[in-house]
Amino acid sequence: MDRVLNDFIVSLRGAGVPVSVSESIDAAQALAISGYGDRQIVKSSLAATLAKSAAEKEIFDDCFERFFTFQTLATDFAAGQETNEQQQPGDMPIPGIGGMIREGDLGGIALAVRDAARSVDLQSIRYFTQRGIFTSRILQTLQLDQLDRFVADLYRQGGAGAAAARQLEQGRDALIDMVRRFVEEQYGIFARESTERIIERYLWDVRLTELEERHYDRMHFLIRKLVKRMNERYSRRRRRAKRGALDFKQTLRANMHHGGLLFETRWKKKRMNRPDVVILCDVSRSMSTAVRFCLLMLYGLNEVVARVRSFVFCSSLLEVSHIFDTCPIAEAVERLRTGEGLDIHMGRTDYGSAFWDFTNRHLDAVTGKTTVIILGDARSNYGDPADELLKKIAERCRRLIWLNPETPPMWGTGDSEMKRYVRLCDVVMECSTLRHLERLVRVLMRIP
Amino acid sequence: MRDQTGKFETVDQVNEGFKSTGYICSTDIATTVYLAFHLEKPVLVEGPAGVGKTELAKKAAQFMDVPLIRLQCYEGLDESKALYEWKYGKQLLYSQLLRDKLDQVIDKESDLGESIRTLHRYEDIFFSPQFLEPRPLLKALQEERGAVLLIDEVDKADEEFEAFLLEILSDFQVSIPEIGTVTARTKPYVFLTSNSTRELSEALKRRCLHLFIPFPAPELEREIVRLHVPEIPDLLERQLVTFIHEVRKLELKKAPSISETIDWARALILLHAEGLDRDLTRKTLNTFLKFEEDIRAVDEKLFLLVDKALKETA
Repeated sequence: MDRVLNDFIVSLRGAGVPVSVSESIDAAQALAISGYGDRQIVKSSLAATLAKSAAEKEIFDDCFERFFTFQTLATDFAAGQETNEQQQPGDMPIPGIGGMIREGDLGGIALAVRDAARSVDLQSIRYFTQRGIFTSRILQTLQLDQLDRFVADLYRQGGAGAAAARQLEQGRDALIDMVRRFVEEQYGIFARESTERIIERYLWDVRLTELEERHYDRMHFLIRKLVKRMNERYSRRRRRAKRGALDFKQTLRANMHHGGLLFETRWKKKRMNRPDVVILCDVSRSMSTAVRFCLLMLYGLNEVVARVRSFVFCSSLLEVSHIFDTCPIAEAVERLRTGEGLDIHMGRTDYGSAFWDFTNRHLDAVTGKTTVIILGDARSNYGDPADELLKKIAERCRRLIWLNPETPPMWGTGDSEMKRYVRLCDVVMECSTLRHLERLVRVLMRIP
Repeated sequence: MRDQTGKFETVDQVNEGFKSTGYICSTDIATTVYLAFHLEKPVLVEGPAGVGKTELAKKAAQFMDVPLIRLQCYEGLDESKALYEWKYGKQLLYSQLLRDKLDQVIDKESDLGESIRTLHRYEDIFFSPQFLEPRPLLKALQEERGAVLLIDEVDKADEEFEAFLLEILSDFQVSIPEIGTVTARTKPYVFLTSNSTRELSEALKRRCLHLFIPFPAPELEREIVRLHVPEIPDLLERQLVTFIHEVRKLELKKAPSISETIDWARALILLHAEGLDRDLTRKTLNTFLKFEEDIRAVDEKLFLLVDKALKETA
């Protein structure tokens, strides 16, 4: 059982559950105490010792069900073997696994396959491209080449030999099939996550504008994960001691039991508040994917970490917070993309008039506590950049952050007004990948 | 803690034992409790609010017939509230009362150095166990027959406190600078609960067995309802549980928990309901939904939900 438990732990680690050495010892002890009699109890014991969060429990359930079933090795072989029963074999001893095939010794074959798999170290399989090589290595260990040569010899004899050879050949095909399925299954157990992880790593760094649509779902999933992590990390209001200001009431209270002598001092604390965020998004065609994922993330953080008000602009500017308040986030983002039911003029992007709209209609949304984020490529089609209006916003808010999906070398080229805006902003960041989005959260939480 | 009473021989026995105290466990719960007892490890219990995490510890104490010692965690909880504190008042009072005695001991003519030396012969009289005020953690270690120690909502405490817990949880001992190391007389049986408002540290999780209690399966929940509200008609109980399960599938701010299912069942009994119907459900929605938005969301789909519950139990 130790060996099996070990294999199972390897498969759990492969699926993304970090199991420490002490936990695997606990698992072994737990099994020794609760026994192997009842599958449900075995499962509960392993779950209690190995999987230590709700997410890990889910992975564990899946792994357990996959690992402790042996269907592949039991089925299908019967078809190849039935006819073999009645077959009168030649006198020659059949090499390797051939004997078992002819006798239809299913258990023996299954065992041989498992042993072969172990000897070629199948559990180290990581990538789907390795399936072929492992299949052929297992077959080699089962000495299939010898069986092939033997079958060829039988054919050459003709007559009854040929019939026997045909039967053996069928069994051999069934065997190959079975090994292939077995490798597939083991790949599923030991390496399911690896491929997934490669894609994930790729998605973290791919430019949002180049993202293919088929990856959107995965991206949403990744953002949800990121948001969850951020919410967990930042949801607790952190406090910082304000050095130097004595909290006299607290100090008195704390020192009552010293008979009124003040030994311990208590200092006033300052609560760190959630940042108020106002975001202005350029929703012209070139910006749509970046806007989509940025809003998806910011609204995930809404309420828990930050309070968000959002505006979109192209030729004119419009508040869209109400859409996010009424629809689920994903749906709201989709509505922004299609522009459905939005009273917005989708002409040429004009930063000047967007800033004009904002300063004239919505400037009261900005207070000394607000962080203003502008998400745009600053390409204003040679219109008036209106940087004096941006300056007005910058002076009024606590921080002005500009996110530009273009790489820095592109800033200021052509009709980009970025160079002009940069000096008015407190933080300017490139924002073209998921990693940049993550960094944004950190910047947001670090309030000066 | 040794198994003197023979209550922990098999998982089934644990299961039965808890049932007799009025707590119905799933196999997961029973197995984990059983293992925790034999491996002498703390259990970290997680799950949505109201599935009976705290109740589990209470019933465990009742089942084992040992006292329950509870430590409620909150932000800013520190050692002096969790472990021990000196009885400052008593120390002051005694030093006042004993002033004459002290004067006698210290000869009036002797100089300062001499007096201090004399006092030192009496050791630290004012820092002895008599002046120690034990808080929950220390109390749990001092219990003669062992105890169930419930550390409730450990995720609400600061991270430093979590680190401080590690020593107690792995060795069942604490060090008090003035006295020395206190080791558990009988190892207490520890439950920690968490609502996952934040991620707990790996080190803490490693030392614990982990138990996740989800909302129960319908059969289990029906059994729980029957146990707590025995007078409930069979039909009503089936409809009610099916309905609650349908409601939990909706996206609500707070899904109804087991305790709320029971509350609702009691309310319906008071109203002499024999079976579920739309009107009655609408009127009693506020017994198991605690947010205005949730009530509105369920109310919109009430027709469908009640119908479904009635059909499935017909």
